[in-house]
Amino acid sequence: MPTLTKNKYLTKQELIEILQNNGEPLASKNIQELAEQAISQHDIPHSKMEEWRKTSLKKLLEHTFRYGKKIDLERHVIERFNISGMYSNLLVFVNGYFVPSLSRLLDSSDIVVFSNMAEARSMFPQVFDKYYNRTEAHKVNLFAALNTRYAADGAFVLIKDNVKVKNPVHIYFFSDGEDQKIISQTRNLIIAGAGSKASVLLSYHPLSTDYMYNNSVTEIFVEHDAYMDFNIFQGEGYDSFHTNLVNVEVERGGQFYSHTISLCGEIMRNDLRVRFNGPEAYAELNGLAMPDHDQVHDNTLFVHHKSGGSISRQFYRNIVDNNARAVFYGKVLIDKGAKKSEAYQLNNNILLTTTAKVHSKPHLIIYNDDVAASHGSTTGQIDREALFYMQARGISEKKARTLLLQAFANEVLNKIQIDTYKFYVKTLIRKRLQGEKVEMLCAKLGQCRFEPDYE
Amino acid sequence: MEPLLKIIDLHATVEGKKILNGINLEIYPGEIHAIMGPNGSGKSTLASVLAGKPGYEVTGGQVYFMGKNLLELKPEERAREGLFLAFQHPVEIPGVTLVNFLKTAVEEIYKHRGLEPPSAAQFLRLLREKKEMLEFDMKIENRSVNEGFSGGEKKKNEMLQLAVLDPKLAILDEIDSGLDVDALREVANGVNKIKNENNAFLLITHYQRLLNYVVPDKVHILYKGQIIMSGDKNLALEVEERGYDWIKNNETV
Ligand SMILES: Nc1ncnc2c1ncn2[C@@H]1O[C@H](COP(=O)(O)OP(=O)(O)OP(=O)(O)O)[C@@H](O)[C@H]1O
Ligand SMILES: [Mg+2]
Repeated sequence: MPTLTKNKYLTKQELIEILQNNGEPLASKNIQELAEQAISQHDIPHSKMEEWRKTSLKKLLEHTFRYGKKIDLERHVIERFNISGMYSNLLVFVNGYFVPSLSRLLDSSDIVVFSNMAEARSMFPQVFDKYYNRTEAHKVNLFAALNTRYAADGAFVLIKDNVKVKNPVHIYFFSDGEDQKIISQTRNLIIAGAGSKASVLLSYHPLSTDYMYNNSVTEIFVEHDAYMDFNIFQGEGYDSFHTNLVNVEVERGGQFYSHTISLCGEIMRNDLRVRFNGPEAYAELNGLAMPDHDQVHDNTLFVHHKSGGSISRQFYRNIVDNNARAVFYGKVLIDKGAKKSEAYQLNNNILLTTTAKVHSKPHLIIYNDDVAASHGSTTGQIDREALFYMQARGISEKKARTLLLQAFANEVLNKIQIDTYKFYVKTLIRKRLQGEKVEMLCAKLGQCRFEPDYE
Repeated sequence: MEPLLKIIDLHATVEGKKILNGINLEIYPGEIHAIMGPNGSGKSTLASVLAGKPGYEVTGGQVYFMGKNLLELKPEERAREGLFLAFQHPVEIPGVTLVNFLKTAVEEIYKHRGLEPPSAAQFLRLLREKKEMLEFDMKIENRSVNEGFSGGEKKKNEMLQLAVLDPKLAILDEIDSGLDVDALREVANGVNKIKNENNAFLLITHYQRLLNYVVPDKVHILYKGQIIMSGDKNLALEVEERGYDWIKNNETV
């Protein structure tokens, strides 16, 4: 058990020691070896690395996290995280461990295989071997390499060819540990078979500790002409951390939609990487982050147009309060051979205080002329003229601000495809903007600290 | 009878620049006043100061609205008390639908007046009735406030809000600019329909043509932040014919 007596921050070795105690790894010996080599090569990300320039991990490395216990929760404990009206296939993980008693499959198991990774590995070894780490997650950064080497479980979703899954697939990740600093390391694999269609939601919540650290990797394979609507809801506790990598491969004619909502957490780092393997592929990456206090929410995107006739759209918005910081780094690479590609990037930010910051960098790298591309980035304050216009109609300043910020957020939220979930998020955000208690975002009921610090 | 609005020697600056230099004006219930004056004379500034726009500093004088010290109130409190400003340049509010916006305003105003806020259905009925009364046939309720509205639609939207919020005093800042002849008539008819013995209008305008339809009780000429002449509706006709020079010259007499 490493302690922090000598150094203020965890060293790489200490980090490895913490993360390796995860039980039987999912990875084959071969992949374990590859990952270990990568681990020895990667540094802990630092500000001299291009993709980490604006996000320091010091705050994370101040803490000694431990894996939590395997806990069999009763259903009522997680009821407050229900999304009203959303009837979904459920997978539940607590502290990274699968809880079968809380999971349920609505759609027939003939069309969708829905399970935890450890079980999937023994039940579908061929599928597992074909896809596990096919995106070479270990190459991305140290955290993804550690995950690839040591992760012991996670969600497995396999949608068979030409199947349209009726109900959304909702995967819950809880941290439970009576105020302890709990780390969970999960590894998810989602395969959308050719011509299939499904909505998936990964949501992260605090149960009895606000100190949770998730180190997660999700690999998604959108086979040809498949349609994947992928959602991440980061509702982690106040002092939580997340290093999150989502690696996506889209084949010919496949469509990938993502919606990443970050509402809380000290450092939320999302790497979302999409590769178009076949022509006529489509990806739409949407996101909303609302860092408060000293939090940092970082969305680092990379879309690689390897194949022509493909379209990618990035649309991220940030509402930054207090001393918080938002980072948007959106990179698009269009290969020489990827003719007739289209890439659009848009990032809009509102700073609620004079000390809030945003770092916005849309970045297009294009190696052929036959391309349509645009990028834009705006950062500003709440529109004072609009505020006054609303006040002049009798609406209080606070209410007017809320309406304006909700409207700003809604342009992203309206793209969410699961209606019940969309409504849920909008309600949460309205409450947060009004400074109400948002108990879904807090481990301890009645201890939520959200106060908009408008100036 | 108490005046609805009483302005006494009002001085105001914007960014350190003196714009209003001693305005005196009384408006009584049932009256229609018009303010005319050259560009930059301070007409919109007066409207902004009355509505409580931030950035406008009152450096002297008093304003009473139904006996209350208006200048102490926040903009939203002024609106709830019954002051309405139709903006010369209505602001676009992306993502906030007119229905949502106006319903929120109605709720706050009703609450302030001690009335039960209308249900969604009641509100929609109210909105429909007012549209019919104004004979507006545009479909704007589910669009974002003013976003992508034509110039005329923006002005009509201000009128619609006025009709729904039913203020005591409505200040219309160039409601007539940018309107075609039919729209001008519609808007003017709207003013005539909304007007009653308990409320009042202050029309800021450059042109006589609005005043052909809406007959003012008093016409004031604002110049360099002061009302330098007041008269009846004929003063507007004279301005139309002769411009402002003769009044400016008069000022020094
Ligand atoms: N926010 C501001 N900042 C700087 N100057 C201002 C501001 N608002 C008004 N002014 C100045 O105050 C003066 C009066 O402007 P105002 O808009 O009141 O004129 P107006 O009589 O309404 O003119 P118009 O007929 O053109 O609408 C102008 O010189 C204008 O430039
Ligand atoms: Mg003006």
